[in-house]
Amino acid sequence: MKTKRRIIFEIAILILIMIMCSGCGGTQKSISDDSGEEEREIYAMDTYMTVKAYGGGAKEAVDKAEERIRELDSKLSTGIEESEVYQINKNGGGVLSEDGVYLLKRSLELWDSTDRTFNPAIYPIMELWGFTTKDYQVPDEDEISDTLKLTDADNIIFDEKTGKVSFKKDGMKLDFGGVAKGYTSDCIMKIFNECGIKSGIVSLGGNVHVLGNKPDGSDFRIAIRNPDTQQDSYIGVLEASDCAVITSGGYERYFEKDGVIYHHIIDSETGYPADNGLKSVTIVSKDGTLADILSTSLYIMGLDKASDYWYEHREKFDVIFVDDSGTVYITGGIEKNFESEYDVRIIK
Amino acid sequence: MKKKDIILIGTILLIALISYLVIHFRSNNTGNIVIVSVSGEIYGKYPLNENRIIDVNENKGYNRIVINDGKVYMEEADCPDKYCVSQGKISKTGEIIVCLPHKLSVEIKNQSEATDEIDAVAK
Repeated sequence: MKTKRRIIFEIAILILIMIMCSGCGGTQKSISDDSGEEEREIYAMDTYMTVKAYGGGAKEAVDKAEERIRELDSKLSTGIEESEVYQINKNGGGVLSEDGVYLLKRSLELWDSTDRTFNPAIYPIMELWGFTTKDYQVPDEDEISDTLKLTDADNIIFDEKTGKVSFKKDGMKLDFGGVAKGYTSDCIMKIFNECGIKSGIVSLGGNVHVLGNKPDGSDFRIAIRNPDTQQDSYIGVLEASDCAVITSGGYERYFEKDGVIYHHIIDSETGYPADNGLKSVTIVSKDGTLADILSTSLYIMGLDKASDYWYEHREKFDVIFVDDSGTVYITGGIEKNFESEYDVRIIK
Repeated sequence: MKKKDIILIGTILLIALISYLVIHFRSNNTGNIVIVSVSGEIYGKYPLNENRIIDVNENKGYNRIVINDGKVYMEEADCPDKYCVSQGKISKTGEIIVCLPHKLSVEIKNQSEATDEIDAVAK
């Protein structure tokens, strides 16, 4: 009798211990996670950034990443007087650093391959609309057609070996605004790798780039913003590792005049904001520079042309489109990684 | 089994249940926190489920952050573009309101490791 009572007693104690332990588990885990990670907020390139690395050496890696961000900002900004881009635009030519050479080279390659939808010479038209100063205006047609004469990237004279840049027309200007953040996140991933970091995530003003998996081995979960609403809603969540996830949409920067909304993604064919049936385009690629460029490019192309472009280059990237009717389209390569409560059509 | 045994087991199970509820309730309570940062430094941490008004008056300017019914929003700011005010209400983990001119951010974070948590928002 006595042993039976003891067994019951021991079982009860065991249950008590088990319940208490399961309750504590979560708290202990988050403490150990905290010890091996470094997260930092950085204000640079006219935007808000977060940089996070996990594991040993995380602080050093994030320090170096911040240093690199500041370096690239001071080299590539169109608004900082000391920057090489500012100087080239002011003097009608000059010499680019290694970073600038890489960016102009990639930009010109994609200017060709995207049928002139990504344009590194678009700056004069952005100035005309006031997107560079936030002093917005709707230009008249003559002003637009005059300015468009200065935005043909074929008129950039560029020597890759020496870095020398000049323009065939006076008043032309370079702008790496559509590619600098994607390139910067590539550079941060390189720094993380060099520092032995296996897991990290950065968001450079909404341009997300992840290294490896989360420390627990699962994929990172990246929400894609709903272009129709305020921040509080997503069109879906992408599970991702080792890639950049970069979205472009008219909602990012715009102004309203006489009831019409003018957004900042200017089609350099027309000189007006692109209006080809898409609300947002998200590119998923291991190449952050490519993802940044193509998010703008495919937005300007519209769904049909963009789908064809994807098919031709489908080993390099995938896409999530939201069209004007709110329908979500994703390309075949990310079919299994994307979850959404919306109707999703697969492009193959 | 005697009556005393039943009382003993009952008491132990009751303690277990209470302990479980306390731990569960507490972890839920501390789950969602609102982190306000200025120039990348943490200014304050606040539970999402307690209504309050946070006035931040740092060197760059003034922001009034409101936590109400599990949602956070920027009610007022003296920055030039007022973009932070127009960003609306946030309530989910990983969401963030940024006032770029004042270098101020308001972010919702989850201390417990829920599986459906979002790590970043592409926008």
